[in-house]
Amino acid sequence: MASMAAASTSLQARPRQMVTAVKCFSQGSRSNLSFTLRPLPTRLSVSCAAKPETVDKVCEVVKKQLSLKEGDQVTAATKFAELGADSLDTVEIVMGLEEAFDIEMEEDKAQAIETVEEAAELIEEILKAKA
Amino acid sequence: MVAKCQVISLCRSLLRAGRKYPDYNIREYTKQRTLDGFRMNGNLTDQSKVNEVYAEGKEQLEVVERVLKVYLAYPPKTKNIMELNVQ
Repeated sequence: MASMAAASTSLQARPRQMVTAVKCFSQGSRSNLSFTLRPLPTRLSVSCAAKPETVDKVCEVVKKQLSLKEGDQVTAATKFAELGADSLDTVEIVMGLEEAFDIEMEEDKAQAIETVEEAAELIEEILKAKA
Repeated sequence: MVAKCQVISLCRSLLRAGRKYPDYNIREYTKQRTLDGFRMNGNLTDQSKVNEVYAEGKEQLEVVERVLKVYLAYPPKTKNIMELNVQ
């Protein structure tokens, strides 16, 4: 019984709150509801840890290997599978990248590559270690 | 039982070994042959057949490495015309 009473009181309380809220909106002039829109700065949707030149070079190699037409988009986040490459094509691409950058990638790291970004980051890591 | 990663790493080893040849012809041939071979047998479902071709691949890897030693002993004196970037 006590709980029911408590429930009833709470039910009563809520509509009152709602009414006041509604009143506020209907009453309020433009000034009450004023808020300034901050113009959001245009940001890159993909945050890539690798340098853009590396990414561009990787994209070039990928395009050549998979014989993509000029119009096809290859960005940092593109997965090789999206471009129609199977695992053998990925191996070819990785080989092509090794030749283009004159580096040697380790077996397990090379197998883990799935996107353009991962390839570029691994390449930069190896180049840094070599320097 | 041959796993997919083993097949991929065999392909990679074959391509890496083929790259070391000083002779342009053999270099291109090994690369093209490994890719053709792996693509041809890429859709096999029978596990025993997969093991068979994997063993073949391993033998070919040994052959490539053995022949590489011979070719390195007698490198070609001139560059192949395909390797020269003639405008």
